[in-house]
Amino acid sequence: MPIEAVADALVEVRDLTTLLSGKAVFDGLSLDIPRGKVTAVMGPSGTGKTTLLKHITGQMRPDRGTLRVDGQNVPTLGREALYALRERIGYLFQNSALLTDYDVFENVAFPLRQHARLPEVLLRNIVLTKLQAVGLRGAARLMPSELSGGMARRVALARAIVFDPMLILYDEPFVGLDPIALNQVLKLIRTLNRTLGITSILVAHEFAAVRQVADLVHLIANGRCVASGTPEQLARGESDWTRQFFGGEADGPVPFQYPAGDYATALGFTGAAA
Amino acid sequence: MSADMKTRAPRGGMLVDGLAQVGDCGLFLLNMLGAIPRSLRHLREISRQIWFVGAMSLVIIMISGLFVGMVLALQLYYTLSIFGGTAALGTVVALSLYRELGPVITALLFAGRAGTAMTAEIGLMRATDQLAAMEMMAVDPIAFVATPRFLAGVIAMPLLANVFSLLGLLGAHLVGVTWLGVDNGTFWSNMTSNVDVWKDIVNGTWKALAFGVVVSLIAVFQGYTAPPTSEGVAYATTRTVVFASIVVLALDFVMTAFLM
Repeated sequence: MPIEAVADALVEVRDLTTLLSGKAVFDGLSLDIPRGKVTAVMGPSGTGKTTLLKHITGQMRPDRGTLRVDGQNVPTLGREALYALRERIGYLFQNSALLTDYDVFENVAFPLRQHARLPEVLLRNIVLTKLQAVGLRGAARLMPSELSGGMARRVALARAIVFDPMLILYDEPFVGLDPIALNQVLKLIRTLNRTLGITSILVAHEFAAVRQVADLVHLIANGRCVASGTPEQLARGESDWTRQFFGGEADGPVPFQYPAGDYATALGFTGAAA
Repeated sequence: MSADMKTRAPRGGMLVDGLAQVGDCGLFLLNMLGAIPRSLRHLREISRQIWFVGAMSLVIIMISGLFVGMVLALQLYYTLSIFGGTAALGTVVALSLYRELGPVITALLFAGRAGTAMTAEIGLMRATDQLAAMEMMAVDPIAFVATPRFLAGVIAMPLLANVFSLLGLLGAHLVGVTWLGVDNGTFWSNMTSNVDVWKDIVNGTWKALAFGVVVSLIAVFQGYTAPPTSEGVAYATTRTVVFASIVVLALDFVMTAFLM
């Protein structure tokens, strides 16, 4: 589907092709992520949403195509430039990925200790400010093993925003959360975007949650962007893809059956049928 | 080899895969050596690892050293008494410990105690995305995780081997002098006049240093390249013990041949 270029795009993906074990995960993917907005990337499982995030952060290089983040073509960046770019990007992992040897405070302080030589008082104040923003200042001295899933994700979010990034990537932020924790994370995503203007990319499956925060949704399938628009536009979409995905239909362009050989042959009925 | 190297797919037969892994391990070592200047910024992490792999291994090393020394004294006393040479007990025990048993047994124990812990810890860090999270925070996991553990192992091994040998001597003294009645003065004086600091103790320390390099390298490499599954980490931990033990024993032969 030809995409309409966004005037002020922070991330521009053009003709991205990625092969994994000989299979095309992306086959000419093109899309834009507008600056200062919350953009959700959705699609059936296994369509490469997390892979797209890895391309954006330079953890994986595509086989072809360009991917510009704030004007820099990520696949061609060297190590130093890539690390400099990553300092401006926050990444919320699906499993939070907190450092298990450190308590909550030290987890949030970790990027500051590594990259900024700050007086301890200032560092402490920054960390406590971020923890206050996610509602966990009182949990500063707990270890990751003492946190619930929702709390761990909020700590990871505090760590992701400790450098006031220009871009935050959320990889499945709602998975495994109870309704209270889910609403807390939703509120944080919305607040960070509205108050700090941080551009956000959200990979998620929960459309009900996504439509509360996302300004734009890209639907990826078959290695391409098959639909883009506001959550409402996509919910009303008439294409086979949008109908199946947002209507939650079991069969459609994404088949219920994993590709396989003839069923009767597999059961040994070929001779009997003849 | 990139800093975010993961498990490679098998490339062919066992020989080809084995050689490829040796090559990967060599490149990994070069990466770690290249990251030493950046690692030195994390002195707190290095000292934390020295505490973990060195100080925390002291108990097992000291107890083992004591018992090995005691057994050695018993066996050698019996053998030497056949030739009427029990006066040489201290010398023989000291030479056996400092030249051979101290470095080798310490390396084997070190692989089992600290090596497996390093492999499992790094493997689990990979499986729980902690290494990926560091990369995303623009922190090189080779410099922050791998190299400090490697350096800690290299620093701790010679110290532990010397502690092992020292406790072995005390164990031998306990059995030889206190129990079996070898003269105390003969035990120590024969030892001090026949054991050469440079030829025996320092050469043994060189061996321990070399074993520290190979055991730590194997442990860190296995953890770093472990498949991110519970089975993958379990196999990597086993491989650390097996590979480290074989390499230590083979390297011991080569080094002994050159240092004699």
